[in-house]
Amino acid sequence: MDDAEGGSVNVGAMSSGFSGLMRSPLHGRHVELGAKTGEFGGWEMPLEYAGGGVLKEHAAVRERVGVFDVSHLGKATASGPGAAEFVNGCLAGDLEKITPGQAQYTLCCDESGGVVDDLIVYLRGPDEVFFMPNAANTAEVVSRLTERTPEGVRILSQHGDFGVLAVQGPRSDETLEAVGLPVGHDYMAFADAAFDGATVAVCRTGYTGERGYELVVPSEKAVALWDAVLRAGEPYGILPCGLGARDTLRTEMGYPLHGQDLSLDITPVQARMGWAVGWRKPRFWGREALLAEREAGPARRLWGLRADGRRMPRPGMTVLGGDDGPVGAVTSGTFSPTLRIGLGLALLDSTVEVGQRVSIDVRGRREAFEVAKPPFVPSHVR
Amino acid sequence: MIPEDLKYTAEHEWVRTPGESEASVRIGITDYAQDQLGDIVYLQLPDEGSEVEAGSSIGELESTKSVSELYAPIQGTVVKTNAAAEQSPEVINSDPYGAGWLIEIRPSDPPAVDGLLDAATYRSQVESG
Repeated sequence: MDDAEGGSVNVGAMSSGFSGLMRSPLHGRHVELGAKTGEFGGWEMPLEYAGGGVLKEHAAVRERVGVFDVSHLGKATASGPGAAEFVNGCLAGDLEKITPGQAQYTLCCDESGGVVDDLIVYLRGPDEVFFMPNAANTAEVVSRLTERTPEGVRILSQHGDFGVLAVQGPRSDETLEAVGLPVGHDYMAFADAAFDGATVAVCRTGYTGERGYELVVPSEKAVALWDAVLRAGEPYGILPCGLGARDTLRTEMGYPLHGQDLSLDITPVQARMGWAVGWRKPRFWGREALLAEREAGPARRLWGLRADGRRMPRPGMTVLGGDDGPVGAVTSGTFSPTLRIGLGLALLDSTVEVGQRVSIDVRGRREAFEVAKPPFVPSHVR
Repeated sequence: MIPEDLKYTAEHEWVRTPGESEASVRIGITDYAQDQLGDIVYLQLPDEGSEVEAGSSIGELESTKSVSELYAPIQGTVVKTNAAAEQSPEVINSDPYGAGWLIEIRPSDPPAVDGLLDAATYRSQVESG
């Protein structure tokens, strides 16, 4: 977020003033709810809401239910004869492991194995695949796919056509049931449903570690759906949640964020995301480089950092080993509202092991951390 | 919320005279400051007994999204710190002018407090952004 270098900012200098940014179809609702907003990949999105705040919104998702506007996420479709086969030859995940009606977490790599984006793909059928890339990377993913499409396959960017709501938390099933949407399908499966005369895709996905759903809704129906979800969730204590809480929730799970924990310079092998790669596939972008790196062993790996106290690491800070020599760098860091301690993710030399004690100079004070294997709190996605 | 009976600084801190400690003033951050920071999750305060210069950085407040420095509004000696706020920094958000106070300083030049901003001046500063 806004303090990536770990430096200090005066509280008086934080007032926002955005221009030229894209806005969600729910922007008016966020203003009414007193949201503080921030810039995410060219979009002005809510960070937290008045009367809520990161800690309360985080707790709502862990204990009850919360709804996030994640309409900044990209949307695109590959369609035409053999569209799924084409995509399977490009992205790293193995689409043959899923069937129509299922979604998959996958990676778009470049030829060196670096990650252009991590994204969710929805397999609709052999001739149609829907993509949900990160906001800032959508144009690049669409462009790379478009350059290589075979005859008959078409890539359509639909970034502004849909809103996306994430309904997350142990009471998300009851909430969506009250809205009249289908619930209870398997983790990573999706179902189309009618809502207010439109079709909404209801997918068992999320970025919080809790049971939940992401709803892809035509933009013109996004406000009606948002209102319906908030009304339906009221008996369960639902809160509108901003992207501030989304970041603390995903960090507690150790989920990587592209641009911090994954990037063109950080491969899936280094990020320990090899589980998302279809290693047996004959081809996908970056295959040779990634196979070679996996064979040789990566020079560095992404691990978790668990602070002894409340002090949190910040991206870019140097991690020091037992002899005080540098052993890596922090890529993500936050305060864990669940554990009440600082947490982070860091790229560490491959010699560093889980359980090892390391330290970080946090603005002049040495803080102690333990290298850990995330998640830091138990996952309840299934 | 900007109480009339307090003095203020441009760095969004308040000063109350007197503090509970002898010959001291009590210091905290304003409601505006806590709202801008969001949920405060870490607080670092100076050691009791330390001598501080007016305008110098003497601690920090950290929220999940940013870090803000704490400045000494006046020169003097730190005579008391709010250990409860260090343990549970959320009290700064919920009660910034009360239980969320931060430190007490014994000013080396007590009249210097009169030179800080009054409520009306601070309010106009906040409103002008």
